[in-house]
Amino acid sequence: MKKLGDRILLMLVCIILGLMLAAQFKNVQNVGGSVSLQRAQELTAQIQKLNQEIESQQKLIQELEDRVKEYESAAQDAGKLNEAMYKDLERARNLAGLTDLEGAGIVVTVNHISYQESGESGIIRNVYHEDLLMLVNELNAAGAEAIAINDERIISTTEIRDAGDYIVINTNRHSAPFEIKALGNPDTLEASLMLLGGVADTLGEDLEIKIRKENSIKIPKYNGVLQFEYAVPVQ
Amino acid sequence: MQKAYRQVIDMWLPLLGILIGIILGMVLPISIPTAYSSYMSIAVLAALDSVFGGIRASLEKNFQADVFISGFFGNAILAAGLAYIGDRLDVPIYLCAIFVFGYRLFNNFAQIRRHFLGILRKKSYTNKYSDK
Repeated sequence: MKKLGDRILLMLVCIILGLMLAAQFKNVQNVGGSVSLQRAQELTAQIQKLNQEIESQQKLIQELEDRVKEYESAAQDAGKLNEAMYKDLERARNLAGLTDLEGAGIVVTVNHISYQESGESGIIRNVYHEDLLMLVNELNAAGAEAIAINDERIISTTEIRDAGDYIVINTNRHSAPFEIKALGNPDTLEASLMLLGGVADTLGEDLEIKIRKENSIKIPKYNGVLQFEYAVPVQ
Repeated sequence: MQKAYRQVIDMWLPLLGILIGIILGMVLPISIPTAYSSYMSIAVLAALDSVFGGIRASLEKNFQADVFISGFFGNAILAAGLAYIGDRLDVPIYLCAIFVFGYRLFNNFAQIRRHFLGILRKKSYTNKYSDK
């Protein structure tokens, strides 16, 4: 038996095996490997915990808002000057999107179109954040006084952006179908979207867009916290 | 005595090789696309089995280089290929590869263990008699 040659061969092959092991190890470290059942359960528990935390925080927000209202009503009682101030405050809050509003307007639903062809089903394309931005933009241009997408009030700091399979609005994740509610003159709003070659026309090519006018729509207030950390008013 | 010593080297050389390979792999920028990671893991299992089989064969003195090399690469490629086809067909063939190679791995290890235990036993036996 050629002992030496065999040994060198065995060693070489072992080096290759070592290379494979190292490559695989690096890969698993980078990706985290396949998700084990235990890990999935862990993550589920974490999500549940965080959801509970969100709920308790929302309760806290509610409580604080109630207190603000108490202060406001107390201030209202104090006198006429205060009443004027209170009215100003109320107006500012309406403009900032911090109050529930209702009135006439339109409801636009945006959804993807599913098709079924020779046993294969799918969608033509997803709803992207640009589509929603275009619609919101057009509604604002047509004089919409308040807009909400899936009950997320659109305010000055609202973001509408893609994040994986979701669209994030006011830091909350949403997916199709989207329901855009806008307060304003229903005819004007509808006409602005239905222009020939306009937004509804363009998006309607590969998305399902329904517009209906309503006499009374409720738009919820913005649920987050508005805070200026860097900006200071110019004196 | 000489024989046992040589066999210990037979045992450790491959392990040393694996160690060198791992260090090389960590230093060199080798990476597999994430999509093929699962096939690579099956190939690694097959290769591991082949190496253990090689160690066993060299201990039993019927190591054949051609059988070893073809087994190493053939098994690895076949296992990864079957796993790939299984994924395409939605048949979990990789389970079969894991069972077979895992089983053989343990079998090979058992044989190696027995071999060394046998040598140790013989040694203690002869020691007893030479003492008397």
